[in-house]
Amino acid sequence: MNKLLDQNTNDDVVSAIDSLGFGIAIWSSENSLVKCNLEFSRHFDIDDPDSLAGLSVKQLVEKIAQASRLILPENRREWRCQEEQAILSNKLSQYRFVDGTICEVKRWPTKNDGKVHCLQDITQSVRNKRTLEKERDKSTEAERTKSRFLRAANHDLRQPLASLKIMIYNCLETKDTQERDQLLHNMDISVSIMEDLLGALLNIGQLDAGRIEPKISTFQISTILDRMRLQFEHQAQEKGLTFRVMPSKHAVVSDRALLERIVSNFVANAIKYTETGGVLLGCRKRGDRLYLEVWDTGIGISLDDQEKIFQEFFRVSSEQAHRKHSLGLGLNIAKRLADVLKQEISLKSVPKKGSVFSIKAPIGNVWHSDIGEPEISERIGGEFTGLTVIVLEDDEILLDALVALLERWGINVIHLDHSQEIGPQIRELDTEPDLIITDYRLHGAIQGTDLVLEVNDLLEKPCPAIVVTADTQPDLIERIKKQGFPVLIKPVSPPGLRVIMHNILYEPELVPELN
Amino acid sequence: MHDTTIPIGSMVPLSGPSSADGNEFRNGLELAAEEINQRSGILGKKIRLFFEDTGTQSATEVVRAARILIDNGVHAIINGYNIGSQNSEYEPIADAGVIYIHHNTLLQHHDTVMSNPDRYFGCFMGDPAEYWYGQGFIKFASWLRDTGQWEPRNRKIAIVSGTKPYSVVIANAMASASPQFGWDLVSRPIVVSSPTRNWKEYLDTIRNLDPAILAITQFYSGDLARFQLSFMENPIPSLLYLQYGALHRSFKEAVGEKAAGVIVGTMIGLPRDEMGRGFAEKYFRSFGPDSTPEVGCQPYTSLHHYAIAASIAGGTGGPGEIEKNRVVADCLLRYPYRSVAGTIRYHRKWQAAVPYPDAVHDPSLGLPHLFYQIRNPDQEHALIAPDPYADAKFVLPTWLQN
Repeated sequence: MNKLLDQNTNDDVVSAIDSLGFGIAIWSSENSLVKCNLEFSRHFDIDDPDSLAGLSVKQLVEKIAQASRLILPENRREWRCQEEQAILSNKLSQYRFVDGTICEVKRWPTKNDGKVHCLQDITQSVRNKRTLEKERDKSTEAERTKSRFLRAANHDLRQPLASLKIMIYNCLETKDTQERDQLLHNMDISVSIMEDLLGALLNIGQLDAGRIEPKISTFQISTILDRMRLQFEHQAQEKGLTFRVMPSKHAVVSDRALLERIVSNFVANAIKYTETGGVLLGCRKRGDRLYLEVWDTGIGISLDDQEKIFQEFFRVSSEQAHRKHSLGLGLNIAKRLADVLKQEISLKSVPKKGSVFSIKAPIGNVWHSDIGEPEISERIGGEFTGLTVIVLEDDEILLDALVALLERWGINVIHLDHSQEIGPQIRELDTEPDLIITDYRLHGAIQGTDLVLEVNDLLEKPCPAIVVTADTQPDLIERIKKQGFPVLIKPVSPPGLRVIMHNILYEPELVPELN
Repeated sequence: MHDTTIPIGSMVPLSGPSSADGNEFRNGLELAAEEINQRSGILGKKIRLFFEDTGTQSATEVVRAARILIDNGVHAIINGYNIGSQNSEYEPIADAGVIYIHHNTLLQHHDTVMSNPDRYFGCFMGDPAEYWYGQGFIKFASWLRDTGQWEPRNRKIAIVSGTKPYSVVIANAMASASPQFGWDLVSRPIVVSSPTRNWKEYLDTIRNLDPAILAITQFYSGDLARFQLSFMENPIPSLLYLQYGALHRSFKEAVGEKAAGVIVGTMIGLPRDEMGRGFAEKYFRSFGPDSTPEVGCQPYTSLHHYAIAASIAGGTGGPGEIEKNRVVADCLLRYPYRSVAGTIRYHRKWQAAVPYPDAVHDPSLGLPHLFYQIRNPDQEHALIAPDPYADAKFVLPTWLQN
């Protein structure tokens, strides 16, 4: 009965060991393996745990090595010695498996001088710990960057703010117009420095938060080159520098806005650090890549500084004249934006001679080139796009509707206020009008046709005109037409206006009133 | 009207200067209706066509045609183009709330639809706006340059426009896109009125400007034929582009071999694939060897697309049945159709077919903007762009070979 009980108990123990959710191995006092469970042997690709029973420490270590499941160092002999010692010494250790699993091995002595080893899968907890550590490091770095940034921003903002305070006070005090103008000009500079700083702060903030998502498209690089010319031409001239932009016909694949910001930072930097000579912006094709290059004849950058130039707040010049207008952020932002775009930035420089900053972009297929218009409508490409039309209308609702319609067709609309003198308003126009649209009866018993004649006198040539009226008396309409003006009856329908405008401007022979 | 039929109207220039195209539009619709009706029509109801002549295609004539068709209770109006109506016909059609699909190729359509999407929900343009001709040609010329197929001797481009909005818009689009692609305009587009008989004077002016590209956006085939004959008397060494009218049979007959080398484009034509060729053969069998499937295919494709959309929508609606027609319009927008002319995929805002490669990069999602180079009179025009539709290579015209 007792024997049967012992046998039953033994079976229960074996069954319980095999059911454990972690690996277990039991060693005798002679250091031979008495028993291990399936969870233990499975880790080494051995399906029958009993086949390991009776192995010595050395034999088990050899078996584990042969199973090729563990990541082992190159020096296998040394590893075997260390592993055998670890098993005998009851030390805590870790197994790293080739499939990425990590197990912790805990070892305890038993009462009869044997040992019991427990093999537990800790992969998930190790991964969780690593993720947490990474997040912590990232957060610490972000905090550090933020603090560093805020300290520097605080310093840089205080400087122009302090100057502004003084200048405002002086401006209020002074009675000399010339001095006041100079103070206002200086205040404008201080405000633009603060603007730059806040813009950079916003860029850095977006980059830190990982909020900048590039919108990749194919576009003509000329669009960026033209904008750079417009943006910096005046600034370079004011400093007595030449600024040349070489034309390019290539299409590139990139984010238009981000690439423009990078190039703009290069050009701004070049102008800032160049006192004589000039700045050149151009493109060079190499294979399937286009290099946008900004050349300057500025102070140059020493080899040591070339590594640091793209770091935050790094300023190459120690001269106060450069420092007060520089935040040391432009190139850092350019570098970080280039990283977002996965486009490479490079620098070549010789101290006291000048520098070349460049960014590399893949050349695109011209067929895919996007002209950068969000909506294809008459505003950008209609037959009336770019024309200038004078509108004379008193009724505000009708005026708003007409202006909205004409602007939707891409027309530059000028509303003349006939309660004021017309002459100065006409003389202020940048371009001569192509057409006049006038109400017939304007406030103050003024006839639109009379105003058209007045405008023509001022222009010293006839400008075609359309008269609109709510008055449907045939006599009146006939009279206006006889004066040479086509008439539209209110409410004016867009197709009707379109037809008459087209005919006047392109096919005047179809307009009987003009003939 | 019988309950067993669906009345479909069409406003076509059966008389007047565009009557040749008008007859092709009618042919295309009749062929499509026959095919649809053979397959049990739209949800079992046969299509019945009503044609109204738009003559000279003036606003008055087109609006009159639209009103007559609506009074006849049509569920949709599907036609080719009516240049000159300036979208006036949209008003009675929008009031009736029926579907309207045309091929006017006008940017005005974008503007009108976007100005009040709710009112013009049913108005569709089955081909891309003429604007794309301009932008697309500049890309085409840049592609020839960038791929080394043609080496321009300078960066200059001269543009000559007709007086119709269609020509003016194309010319403006070319002018505005040119600088971005590395071309310098020699002047603002030169506007010539039709009929133009004395091209020599214009050509002499242009010769002095020395352009590497000369683009004529005037589209009347007669004017273009007179231009080409005048041009060939003393060719200017320029890449020469002529607008759509140069594809007309009358141009070929008038100019003959003197047209060889000219570039022409179309926003809607027949690609030379299995579907395009198959349609052309069927069209010639039905309407004779002198018919023009490239024109007839326009309303043909749109009637098929409409039939599919109406079937998915669960049926059509006549004047006043606006809610039913809104569902049809939604299905037209929702389900692109691979027609014999390429894929008609309506832009949600413009309600116009999107062009490939001008506005989309995927040929399966746009109607191909095809570029041909005219060869000798006994040869078919070479389709030279865009891939994957091209079946020939650009050849340097004789006047550029020296």
